[in-house]
Amino acid sequence: MKTKAATALNLNPRRAAVPKVQRPPRRVERRQSRAHLAGLCALGLGLFLLGLAHVWLRLQVVHMGYVLSTTSKLQSRLEQENRELKLELATLTSPDRLEAMARKRLGLVPPGKGQVIVLP
Amino acid sequence: MRRAQPTNRLRLGVAKSLFLVMILVVAGRAFYLQVLQGDDLMRLGQRQHLKEWTVLPKRGAVLDRNGEPLALSLESQSVYVRPQRIRNSAAAIRELSRILKLNAAEVKQKFQSDKPFVWIKRQISPAEAAQIQALAIDGIGMHYEPRRYYPQGQLAGQVIGFVGRDSEGLEGLELRYNDYIRGETGSSVGERDALGRRVLVEGVEGLQIPPGGDIHLTLDTSIQHLAERELEASIIKYRAKAGVAIAVDPRTGEILALANYPTFNPNNYSSESAQQRRNRAVTDSFEPGSTFKTILAAAAIEESVVDKEDLFFCEYGKYGYAGRIIHDTHPHGWLPFSKILQVSSNIGFTKVADKLKKDRYFKYIEKFGFGQPSGVDMPGEVAGLLRRPESWAAIDLATHAFGQGLSATPLQMTMAYAAIANGGFLMRPYIVRRALSPKGEVLVQNQPHVVRRVISEKTARTVASMLQEVTNDGGTGTMAQVEGFDVAGKTGTAQKVDLVNGGYDPRKRVASFVGFVPAQDPRLVLTVMVDEPEVNVYGGVVAAPVFQKIARGALRHLGVATQAPELIPMPAERLETAPRRAPRRNMQTVVDAGAAPDFVGLSLREAVEKARNLNLKIKIHGNGYVIKQSPGAGGRWDENGILVLTLQG
Repeated sequence: MKTKAATALNLNPRRAAVPKVQRPPRRVERRQSRAHLAGLCALGLGLFLLGLAHVWLRLQVVHMGYVLSTTSKLQSRLEQENRELKLELATLTSPDRLEAMARKRLGLVPPGKGQVIVLP
Repeated sequence: MRRAQPTNRLRLGVAKSLFLVMILVVAGRAFYLQVLQGDDLMRLGQRQHLKEWTVLPKRGAVLDRNGEPLALSLESQSVYVRPQRIRNSAAAIRELSRILKLNAAEVKQKFQSDKPFVWIKRQISPAEAAQIQALAIDGIGMHYEPRRYYPQGQLAGQVIGFVGRDSEGLEGLELRYNDYIRGETGSSVGERDALGRRVLVEGVEGLQIPPGGDIHLTLDTSIQHLAERELEASIIKYRAKAGVAIAVDPRTGEILALANYPTFNPNNYSSESAQQRRNRAVTDSFEPGSTFKTILAAAAIEESVVDKEDLFFCEYGKYGYAGRIIHDTHPHGWLPFSKILQVSSNIGFTKVADKLKKDRYFKYIEKFGFGQPSGVDMPGEVAGLLRRPESWAAIDLATHAFGQGLSATPLQMTMAYAAIANGGFLMRPYIVRRALSPKGEVLVQNQPHVVRRVISEKTARTVASMLQEVTNDGGTGTMAQVEGFDVAGKTGTAQKVDLVNGGYDPRKRVASFVGFVPAQDPRLVLTVMVDEPEVNVYGGVVAAPVFQKIARGALRHLGVATQAPELIPMPAERLETAPRRAPRRNMQTVVDAGAAPDFVGLSLREAVEKARNLNLKIKIHGNGYVIKQSPGAGGRWDENGILVLTLQG
């Protein structure tokens, strides 16, 4: 009675300040909290996957760095080899050596008169 | 419920404070590590996983006009020791001195050094490096360094020069073009793994340090070799002290060959003397002697003071002038001017100089480029000594007439003769055609450059014809004759100044020959200078044959057709043994002005020979024997008058 009267008369000022909110039913509440949890899980999973992707990419970068480093070394080695071969070729075909070999090993002599004709 | 609330609040407050303190501690620590200690810690961390790699300069190559390499750089290894790290030094010293062929005492001394790092041997061979690597001694290491190689050895050694251990050009073209071929030194910072291996996670951009450019010379390795070989042979034969031979294309000023004796091998530059390193063609000046008479002849003809046929009395070998007696090697009476040059009469030229007068003569000496550097792109060029006419004594006009009292470099003499050969233009000589970057961009390019016109074309032709007589019978330069070509040139036998007693040394001479060939359309100007020959001193005997041999080989190499085909007999043996696919037809076909002769069945050699004899222009397709000709035998010539031959077999 008193309560009713108080409610009717709105005698309790603290209660009167808070309007009465209709609480959602317990089932709806549970569903909402599940949705929140799922969202959080998805976010966590997303972050985890992002982290994994980052790690994977980092590993790939390091791996490619190794590959690049190896290839770069190979390139340098091949370039060096190429220069060595050029040097060897130039040494072997130097006019001094060629002349000595032509004279000694092949018995060649400089061309005489008429043995060289320059084409017009 | 109501009673528990204050407790919860308290707990919450405590937890909050705890977390706040923890956060503050963490933040404080982070601030300390990131801000206060950040730089030091970053440095420490980077030292763990970052390393600076030095990229050594890649020096460009030096190539001849046909792309033959004359200088190349390779990476070689240098061995060092960190003495403090060595445990068994006796064994290490023994092994290193054995592999590197070093004195064990020297190696030991290096091992006992207080320094943390000592070089054992720089720039070792790949085989030595492999052996040292196999030793795997802690404290012995190797460092990559570029090393310069000169695959042709002593060929053009003084011209190319050499580089020091730090890859800097020290002499020759290596010094002159150092900025273009040196390449840049750079460094790049990259990550390394736990084993110290480089991991190029940042890409390869950091490694892209531009290498040096290649320089392409005008030198021709074949002609250079020929010049060096023949010069050396003559110097040995006549027991001379030194010599120079220069070959230049008079149309462009390109230096085709520049030989010096004694030779210098830049691969062993440290063990060769400074005398050997000197490029005498530009760094030394000589009194030119009689070869200088050509300059007076050109000046006198240009100034119309004399004509080729003007007669001069040569006083039978003895002539008093300005209180001195001038002698000729052989006495002569009246001679035309051309003959005076042919026999190289000092008296005749004194009289010509007297007619020209010293001021006009001096003007031409300067115009021909004497007394000033030629501007060639080689270091160390001297200007030569040339006194102004105001300071000449009366006798100096006579001495200058026969090339005494002044000095010139062999290159200056060559360029002066080149001016006569090319119709009167003094060209600036050059030895580097261009420098190209590795991407093919032209860094620097030299092109033919006319310094000035010295004499008219008519005068140049007249002087050339007079010089031609020098190599004809009766001249001093007959030994310079090249079969199949007319040679124009002048001999010189100059006395050398006695630097100790003053005056001229009675025994020391410089024998020289300067000339060009073919005389009518010169492709080659050649100077041969032999210093202090002992067996014979005359330029016509010592230097002229060298000219002949170099010119003969060089013209053949350059593909210059001979002027006199009748001098070339067909090699009989070759004709007899040569296989024939088609019967030889009438070789003696007399050319009818309107009808084409028959060439079918002839070999290439025979066809060219026949065309030469009949003075026909031919165009050749294929090799072997002529199977078809256009116009056909007996057919009418078309407008251009060219006989097209198709060969097969």
